[in-house]
Amino acid sequence: MSEQKDFETVLKKLEETSQKLKSEEISLADAIKSYEEGIKYYNECNDILEKASQKIETLTK
Amino acid sequence: MAVKPIKVSQLNNYIKRILQTDPILGNISVTGEISNFRKPGRNAHAYFSLKDQTSSVRCFLSGDKYACLDFELEEGMEVIVHGFIYLHIPNGQYSINISVIEAAGQGDLAAAFAQLKAKLAAEGLFDQKYKKAIPGFPHKVAVVTSASGAAVRDIQKIIRQKNDYVDILIYPVLVQGVNAAGEISAAIDDLNENHKDVDVMIVGRGGGSAEDLWAFNEEIVARSIFRSQIPVISAVGHETDFTIADFVADLRAETPTAAADKAVPDTFLMREYLAELQIEMKRNLRMVMEDRRKALALCDPHSFGRDIQSRIAMEQMRAETLRAEMEKQVAGKVSECRHRLALLKETLDGADPKRILQKGYSVVTDETGHIVKDASLLKCDQMIKIEAAAGFAEARVTKAGKER
Repeated sequence: MSEQKDFETVLKKLEETSQKLKSEEISLADAIKSYEEGIKYYNECNDILEKASQKIETLTK
Repeated sequence: MAVKPIKVSQLNNYIKRILQTDPILGNISVTGEISNFRKPGRNAHAYFSLKDQTSSVRCFLSGDKYACLDFELEEGMEVIVHGFIYLHIPNGQYSINISVIEAAGQGDLAAAFAQLKAKLAAEGLFDQKYKKAIPGFPHKVAVVTSASGAAVRDIQKIIRQKNDYVDILIYPVLVQGVNAAGEISAAIDDLNENHKDVDVMIVGRGGGSAEDLWAFNEEIVARSIFRSQIPVISAVGHETDFTIADFVADLRAETPTAAADKAVPDTFLMREYLAELQIEMKRNLRMVMEDRRKALALCDPHSFGRDIQSRIAMEQMRAETLRAEMEKQVAGKVSECRHRLALLKETLDGADPKRILQKGYSVVTDETGHIVKDASLLKCDQMIKIEAAAGFAEARVTKAGKER
């Protein structure tokens, strides 16, 4: 449950960061910082998706 | 001992309170025959009685409920009404305030369905406020259904087409027959108890007759769904089938296939979206940098130097213009002075005493050389000097006076 929250939280952060980068008034330092953060979030999301190894399990009684 | 008498209205109020706080009378189902029924006008409430061989009771059905009935009420019709007992204070008569009315003889199942639905609704099991959100990115989906039906295959197929991340836990249960409801209910409870890593569950089965779907109308299933901490998506039968489970579930899916679709996000689209975000961030950063680079270019020393040089040239031009202006002014002044000088010379020339002498005048001076301006001041025998235009003479005064 906690990991799942992470993906959505990280994705949300990624979206916010990306939005921040679109702002006209952002300073260069902030832009670079946001970009680095964004890429970090992007990598986290991607890692979660990439380590996907879907398991299908049937309970037996 | 005599009890102090109370007013009629107090009595009725008291009875009303007793009647309307009674748990049985607050939620009852009564079967009987409709009598004293008159068709109400548009939007009007319906009043009639319900009777059997020996008794009758008044009934009230609100106009909006009457308008929603899918059958016509008729005199003499056997019906089952669900509702609560209401006491009308002004005349002390009680009636059944009907929440659900159905025609009897519809079959026991329909009656049981309506009854359970009314009961659970009254308890608030269907309230929107209890609905849990379906997680946006589940890690594990449980599927409570028959291991042998088409539903379990459809659900797996749809999930795997859409999402290559989420784990699927199939929880096989009987979905019809006397033991089905118990197994479904136990499965939901067990998932909550022993499979806490499950983020969302689908509970359902494929299409069938009303009797086939019956397990999903049983109270025990409804209670388990309501109790579940894990969000539940119900998926029973076809689009037109509504079961109690559908009303209690956090989300109703029309079919098992729809449930699978609602349970998981599309990870393939998600990857595309992530890649888009990454590209967009790169592009935006590049734009910011390009922007700053342009701003910087405007401040570089070369263009700065160029600026200063052109500035200097401009100042030089300005100085040159000023100088030319001043030169012109000075020249004007000089020529003006020359002109004035010439005029003055002319005046001076006009005043030259020699020129006066040439006109025939002479200058007389005394011994000391002073010009004689008043001849009467001269004395006899005083020596004077006469200067003419040409030559001079010394003379002796013989006579001097005021008048000639």
